[in-house]
Amino acid sequence: MADATERLVNLALYLASTPAPVTALECRTAGLGYPERQDDAAFLRMFERDKDALRAAGLVIEVVTNEETEAYRVDAAATFARPVELEPGDLAALRAVASAFADDPGFPFRDDLALALGKLGSAGHAGPLATSELSATEPDVQGPRARTIAEAVQTHKSLTFGYTNARGEEKSHAVDPYGVFFREGVWYLTGRDRDADAVRTYAITRMRDLEVNASRPHTPDFERPGDFDVRAQERLPFQYGGPAVSAQVRFEPDVAWRAERLSRGQGTLETLGDGSALWTVEAANLTALASWIVGEGPALHPVGPPGLLDALVSGLKRVVASHG
Amino acid sequence: MAKSPDTATHARRLLALLPLLKRGETIPIAELAAAVGCSPAEAAADLAALTMCGVPPFTPVDMIELDIQGDHVTVYIDPPGLDRPLRLTVAEARALGAALDAAGYAADSALRRTLASVSGGDASAADLERTVRAGAAPGGLASLYATLAMAADEHDKARITYLTGSSGRLSERVVHPWALVNRSGTWYLVAFCEGVGEERVFRLDRIRSAERLGVTFPPPAAVPLAVIPRPDELPVAEVVFAPGASLSEARTWPGATLETRPDGSTLVRVGYQTVSWIARRVAARLGEAEVIEPAEVREAVRALAAAMVAERR
Repeated sequence: MADATERLVNLALYLASTPAPVTALECRTAGLGYPERQDDAAFLRMFERDKDALRAAGLVIEVVTNEETEAYRVDAAATFARPVELEPGDLAALRAVASAFADDPGFPFRDDLALALGKLGSAGHAGPLATSELSATEPDVQGPRARTIAEAVQTHKSLTFGYTNARGEEKSHAVDPYGVFFREGVWYLTGRDRDADAVRTYAITRMRDLEVNASRPHTPDFERPGDFDVRAQERLPFQYGGPAVSAQVRFEPDVAWRAERLSRGQGTLETLGDGSALWTVEAANLTALASWIVGEGPALHPVGPPGLLDALVSGLKRVVASHG
Repeated sequence: MAKSPDTATHARRLLALLPLLKRGETIPIAELAAAVGCSPAEAAADLAALTMCGVPPFTPVDMIELDIQGDHVTVYIDPPGLDRPLRLTVAEARALGAALDAAGYAADSALRRTLASVSGGDASAADLERTVRAGAAPGGLASLYATLAMAADEHDKARITYLTGSSGRLSERVVHPWALVNRSGTWYLVAFCEGVGEERVFRLDRIRSAERLGVTFPPPAAVPLAVIPRPDELPVAEVVFAPGASLSEARTWPGATLETRPDGSTLVRVGYQTVSWIARRVAARLGEAEVIEPAEVREAVRALAAAMVAERR
């Protein structure tokens, strides 16, 4: 009898090469590797799992129903990729990120990335030397957990986990996962905490005993709000806290090019007559913005509101006083 | 030892190998391994497994006929029905999107749109963008990343304009791009700098521009990939942070050791490469942090803060 992997490959080849759709019974008796003494119910469960596995590999299985009997074959038009021509720079960039993340356990999707590159015909060439240590701590924990959460986000399955917050308090949570994101060495989950009935964000490093609801795996546990966008979590350090106000920061002409880099898509940029860049951005914490301006300087200047200038000058005076 | 994949994942890898097997070709197994992201030994085992696979009625001509000799495989039959690459699955589209997020490719970039067009129908690019994000790379990074990746791949010298963090000055340099290194989401270029005659590490978000020069450089025998210096190789400053001050920014204080003091303040010992670098980091805390020693750093912090106050009079 063929092992399970060979059975799956045989089934894929059979469904891809058959001139006419084939039934489950035909698959069972075609010598693909299904156990001979298996009862009908066990066979059908195995056959369904096998089809799911092939779908997960990228095969689109066409189902033809005829007089209450279903028959199957690979839908070639939907299954096969059309050739893509990538620009040399894009190809080199793809190879670089693939090379960097291939050996980084902190990147949750490295196996999928390698297979994707293979499908694009971009593998088979080592590419530039590139490495990665994405997770600042516990990459072997963060990567697999982020992968599990991303899968639950995709399949709309709820999660449970224990969590230790920044104050050291431990609590169990049941969460409908809406999104997963990475920031400066740490992966985060954002979702609706069922007990709090509110959207919360959790650092994956602070979780333990992460479990996905295993019951009814093909049935979604929740609907994600249509307007949810994980990119809204990508705030700058001064955008956390109280109500936001509009603030402006000027980049001198020599460093105006940095405005696009540092703004990270937040706010709006305007080029002034002297070549300076004027950045208008929402800030929830003006002291944190003043700190950010000093840290990213030189040649960055606060323009407004007055509270921002006050925060900067008074803070710098404290620095002078403490180091005098 | 690498963990064995589950059956479905293993089958995916075997199915990914099939379109790469062209009748009449003799292919290095290492090349196939690289194409599907496994070791050559695993690829050889996979190829052996494929020789046990085929289509009904499983006569010899229905089997995938391969001849594995040493580190090469010769292919005698086109895999029946699965001789072309499959469309990207949701998981693969997600992996590509996440990886490109980290390199600064926006969701609406041409490359991301091209890749979305070859994803399966159930892989909604918009849905993935709204739910998975592997980093918010600085704006404008993608073209720079592509240029440097190409230069490193082809051993092509590059001219870069670089903003030195400590001095705030732009300088033009001719470099041999050796490697791209990601640490905690920040990309660095490890390169030989012709101007100083030594290897240097450049943060990508501080490179204003880069162009390939079309001049080949000799690949180095070995590339040092430690982009953040070891703390024991650097002079150390002692900085006291006020009680309650946040110290979670691994990027801001790499390699620091922390000691909580009885009054709730924290004594941080941190290595620094240049006085101006650490002076700016401390000044940015706007009074939450005070350098205890060395005196030279303490004075640099005072001078920087005083100059910035004077600018605003």
